[in-house]
Amino acid sequence: MKYLIYILRRLVSLIPVLLGISFIVFFLIRLIPGDPAATLLGTHATPQAVEALRAQLGLDRPLWSQYLTFMGHLLQGNLGYSFVYDGSVSSLISTSLPVTLWLLVSGTVFTLLIAVPLAVLAAARRGGTADNIIRAVPVIGLGLPSFWLGIMLILVFGLKLGWFPVGGFGNDLAGHLRSIVLPGITVALALSPILIRSLRASMIDVLGSDYIVTAQAKGISTARVVFGHALRNAAVSSVTVLGVNIAYLTGATLVIERVFSLPGIGQQMINSILGRDFPTVQGITLVFAIMVVVVNLLTDVTHAVLDPRVKLT
Amino acid sequence: MSTTTILEPTLPAATPRPRGRGRWNAPLVSGLILFALIVLCAVCAPLLTSYDPIQQNLNDAFLAPGSPGHPFGTDSLGRDVLSRLLYGARVDLQVGVLAVVSPFILGSLVGLVAGWFGGWVDAIIGRVVDVVIAFPFLVLVIALVFAIGPGTSSIYTAITLVGWVAYCRIVRGQVLIAKEQEYAMAARASGLPTWRILVRHLLPNVILQAFVFSMSDIVLTLLAIVTLGFLGLGVPPPTPDWGTMIQEGQQFILTKWYMSTIPGLAVVLTGLALALIADGIVDKANR
Amino acid sequence: MSEQSADVPTPSPSPIPAGLRVPSISRRRLLQLSGLGIGAFAAGPLLAACGSSASGGSGGKGGDLVIVRAQDSVDMDKTIVFSNASLWVYQQMYECLVTMTDDGQGVKPWLAESYEMSPDNLSCTVKLRPGLKFHNGAPVTSADVKFSIDESSKTSGGWEFINSAIKEVTTPDDLTVVVTTKYPWAPLLADLSCPNNGIIPKDYGGKSKADFYTAPIATGPFMWDTWQKGNFIRLKKNPTYWQPGKPALDTVTWKVVPDDNARAIQLQGGQAQINEAPPFSSLTQLKATPNIKVDLFPSTRTDYVLMNQTRGPYADVHVRRAISYALDREAMVKNILFGNGQPANSLMMPAAPYYDKNCQGIVYDMNKARQELAMSSVPNGFTTTYLAMSGDSVDSAIAQILQASLKELGITMNIQNVDASTQHDMTVKMDYEIAHSYWTMDLADPDELVQFALDPNSGGHSFYSGYNNPQLIDLVHQAQQEFDKTKRQALYNQIQQQAADAAVLGFLFYSPFPYSQSSSLQGLKVLPTGYYHLEDVTL
Repeated sequence: MKYLIYILRRLVSLIPVLLGISFIVFFLIRLIPGDPAATLLGTHATPQAVEALRAQLGLDRPLWSQYLTFMGHLLQGNLGYSFVYDGSVSSLISTSLPVTLWLLVSGTVFTLLIAVPLAVLAAARRGGTADNIIRAVPVIGLGLPSFWLGIMLILVFGLKLGWFPVGGFGNDLAGHLRSIVLPGITVALALSPILIRSLRASMIDVLGSDYIVTAQAKGISTARVVFGHALRNAAVSSVTVLGVNIAYLTGATLVIERVFSLPGIGQQMINSILGRDFPTVQGITLVFAIMVVVVNLLTDVTHAVLDPRVKLT
Repeated sequence: MSTTTILEPTLPAATPRPRGRGRWNAPLVSGLILFALIVLCAVCAPLLTSYDPIQQNLNDAFLAPGSPGHPFGTDSLGRDVLSRLLYGARVDLQVGVLAVVSPFILGSLVGLVAGWFGGWVDAIIGRVVDVVIAFPFLVLVIALVFAIGPGTSSIYTAITLVGWVAYCRIVRGQVLIAKEQEYAMAARASGLPTWRILVRHLLPNVILQAFVFSMSDIVLTLLAIVTLGFLGLGVPPPTPDWGTMIQEGQQFILTKWYMSTIPGLAVVLTGLALALIADGIVDKANR
Repeated sequence: MSEQSADVPTPSPSPIPAGLRVPSISRRRLLQLSGLGIGAFAAGPLLAACGSSASGGSGGKGGDLVIVRAQDSVDMDKTIVFSNASLWVYQQMYECLVTMTDDGQGVKPWLAESYEMSPDNLSCTVKLRPGLKFHNGAPVTSADVKFSIDESSKTSGGWEFINSAIKEVTTPDDLTVVVTTKYPWAPLLADLSCPNNGIIPKDYGGKSKADFYTAPIATGPFMWDTWQKGNFIRLKKNPTYWQPGKPALDTVTWKVVPDDNARAIQLQGGQAQINEAPPFSSLTQLKATPNIKVDLFPSTRTDYVLMNQTRGPYADVHVRRAISYALDREAMVKNILFGNGQPANSLMMPAAPYYDKNCQGIVYDMNKARQELAMSSVPNGFTTTYLAMSGDSVDSAIAQILQASLKELGITMNIQNVDASTQHDMTVKMDYEIAHSYWTMDLADPDELVQFALDPNSGGHSFYSGYNNPQLIDLVHQAQQEFDKTKRQALYNQIQQQAADAAVLGFLFYSPFPYSQSSSLQGLKVLPTGYYHLEDVTL
């Protein structure tokens, strides 16, 4: 019950956030030079044709009136219609969002698979050779550009070994699963250094705390200490990486989706910005914001469930 | 904003420890040496190479690394890669550090205020933070860079507008812990002016985390510049910059892999140095 | 656009007129292209009689061809869309009365069986091939032809400028069409081969215009199948195509893969058979790759530097000539095209009819550049801004090479990177100083290019350079109405030389169309306009 009330309260507090975001994105995208109608019609277009299209798109009306229309549609759950593609923004998003969600999940899974064992090992052997290597080597992944990593993975595992497709998203579930592995690993290689560092640190903190010292003093084996107590702490922190993950993916999806030819929301976002497709940019921004907020919320709830010391306020 | 949210790559609560602060340690020393070397290379660039980083030699383009006179080869316009790398370090270190300083200051102060006062101040700041976090970085940066015009000042502005949030959340979390501690309670009870408590007593104790994060933030900023370069919105040519070099090399990645790898390694090395420094500082504080 | 596809928007009450295009950061210059009609590669399908003897027309092998490309199509509306990505797809469906010959120098009958100009050169009588059928089985009649041409003539903001000389289209009988022009108009036949004049059913086969273009019907070798926007577009074989035994392929899929490297890898990995535009930098390596072949098709592409003559010192011919002398064309061919091209000497290009190979264009010469600048209003140089397209490596390289040369002249050139849409906006508003662009022909007649480049009152606004020379414009109009080939050639020679001397544009280089394809693929032929025909292609 307390979770339910908490979630409801958080959802209510989401409203001002979304209002703020819709306001900013609406005006920000219109700050960029470049008129959608002129962009769409091309250089041949007569000024009359451009004006006619502007009127058709509703771009000739005052900004505040356009904003009210946008908000009015939004309240009815309507994100509007794309300027460029003839279709509603929500239907455009519904084709690309799942691809990005797949990428997100795959990236998170691989991040955890890589980061948790390494962080545990580093923390357990604090100051040792293993610790130093684990702290230093993944930083290389952090610094390498994703497109470089992506291409290298494709060259080796896609082209040379033929284990995975060299791009695209496949046509069925098996195809999706196969094609999302390499992109996921690319995300993970860039993301895990961050997680390894924070996990290692928090585990060291736990290992140094009184109750662990007591446990060790009682003769409980190091392995049990590490896996029984410290790892639980690790699990708690790992959950939070999801939130970070999403924020990170804004920048990364564009590049990773491009390299792996994934028709996801990052590509759609950049295309709609470049095409001055205002409604699509607005729609994607909002969907993205909701995603971040919801994941943050889930993170907090999971965190509270895993760690009884955490109070939800 | 929930009080439980742990954020960004942060480290365990660095509660002030009265015990001795420990000696120099290996990660800190090696990190500092490495970073100093990088800075030295940047500063002494004219001594280390005789080439002008923007001097084209169109007949000597695409020389491979190890060519006579060009240890790292030349780029598509025949410019010496080594000198571009060295002069690029000047640009990137400057942009990386400067682009982190203002979010660091802004975010820390806002976080301090939010954490200390709580209540509606915290609530409002919390909402603003939520908006910024949920707003796609890319949209913001592209819009700003297009609106202001490309160049380093747009990059600073855009990164500051987004980057302060991380510091705000880190510092706020630390303040929440610190203000329950004895020294803070004592300071409050003593009737000192609020700003004095915040700046003189609280800030030094909560800033470490933010500082540690700023080390990795510099690397993330460098990568953000690479992404901007990928979109052609980075540092305008012909100024040498690692991000633009990586982006220019990208089209040759299947044929001349080293063109993007060499500047990529420069980013990696810088990242490694900063990470080691961050680790060292934490170790020192905890020891 | 297809209603059947599950994850594609169902027909929706979109307020947006069909027909637009999406600029993308990855591909070159689409916007300017399409804007200036430059990217609008046109031509009817190509008669296969002479070519493709190897592949033969017996077909039957079938197969699914996958083409990877940087951009998605935008719309199938042939009257207003200029993007190559759309044109190259819809030309597999829409066919014209006449089509460009293989060498790009003229036209030949296509859906028309024959055509004849009237003695006064004011009208052209076209006889339709008997027995032609649309994809839905309906016969093709002269009424359909009239409708198809008239629809484009009355569009606004699209290809209507191509039909501007047409007075009326009449239909004496079911298989005869007479096109009458307002004045003698030499480019008429070439204009009829332009994709906006592709033949579709009268009154859109009873549908609304918008509905029609979501699943178009025409006469071509391939017919509508599926479009998953932003992802792929697929056409399928027309089993009753009028050329017996063609096409060989069962389906053709254009897959959108924005990243250059990803496209190369997909071809190498066998997920695609054709890569539409591999970067020149990758060709050497591609040639050495097993199972992949590289073709360079002669093209009508020419790159140039635009100088806005309404801004800064560019109204001064000496300044323009100085900059033109400072363009190191040989180096650009070497470093940007990797040797796959040649320096440009004229407004027109070798693959275009009436090109003058003896045109004395300005060549790279820094001493002459200095002399010209010394004679100009700004002998000590000036500061200017080059408007570059962000993320475009060719543009960036041209800008940096020019920047270095101009520095020697004392001219400080800053580079401003903007995205395609902003660049378009600034160009149209003449709010730029110097920039790079390119042109490719749409038809087998130089008139479109020449009037676009030189006449500020044409659809091309003299390329937004602000150039306006009444004497030269007069020559352009004379050439439009000259039917005698020798005299027309003389006129175009004069035009080319005068344009070169006035440094209207800084001509850069001519480059071919690069294509990489899997070795097993046979029969791909790309015309100088960029159009390719797929009915002769076999896997």
